[in-house]
Amino acid sequence: MSRIPGRDYRQQLAEEEPWRQQFPYHWDADEAVTRREFVRFAVLTSGALFVGTVVLGILGKLDSRKRTKRQLIMKVGELEPGHAKYFHYPNSGDQAMILRLNDGSYAAYSQKCTHLSCAVYYQPKENTLHCPCHEGYFDPVTGEPTAGPPQRRLPRITVEEQGGNLYATEMNP
Amino acid sequence: MRREPRSVDYLPDPRPDVGTGRTPPAPGRQAILLASLSVGALLLAMQLWLLTVALELYLNGNDDNGIWVLAGLSGLVVVGGGLVLRMLARRARLRW
Ligand code: FES
Repeated sequence: MSRIPGRDYRQQLAEEEPWRQQFPYHWDADEAVTRREFVRFAVLTSGALFVGTVVLGILGKLDSRKRTKRQLIMKVGELEPGHAKYFHYPNSGDQAMILRLNDGSYAAYSQKCTHLSCAVYYQPKENTLHCPCHEGYFDPVTGEPTAGPPQRRLPRITVEEQGGNLYATEMNP
Repeated sequence: MRREPRSVDYLPDPRPDVGTGRTPPAPGRQAILLASLSVGALLLAMQLWLLTVALELYLNGNDDNGIWVLAGLSGLVVVGGGLVLRMLARRARLRW
């Protein structure tokens, strides 16, 4: 469109292009993002990510997620090698297990799978801990994941022997 | 009483970039701007990665100061971003 000298250009546009009457949106009013706005948004996002990391640090300090509580599990020798006993530790709602490994030693873990919290079971024949939900496997000696979706080891429970009894004393995530 | 805006109010101003608050980059600066944007995006991605590593450490119950080191690195990026923002604001003020 050619500009007519001496005439109000806006008025001219409005008259010659009637669609502008129907869609009266000036591109100034559009959602134009300036470079500075963009940088401000990026800095805010960056700040939010930083705050998230700090919050995790604080949570880690406030709640070390180490649980200390002394609780009787069973008598020494109550469990044959290659067997497991399931109990609750540290609270009544937390399932845990103590294993008598094939070599006669003991190991105790939380029964909660580190993938999506299903219950994990000891399979002595395969010498593994198995989570049936998504076929997750853990090493019964270390609690480390060996196959399937779990990425973190099972929380380990410290076991102490005293007076012919076995006690759970602490759970480490 | 509020006046209904007339359609003419919304028509473009014929002068380039008037009213948008935007200034097109000088020819040679386009590449610099793009490079800075890429570095910014990369730093944001790095911060996101730091956050996931911190989450992993937290879930693993690591009591050492690993998470704080990650938070420190993330904080440096925020401070850098803030400085860039301040610099841009100052330059804009000088231009006016
Ligand atoms: S919940 Fe155990 S593997 Fe998914």
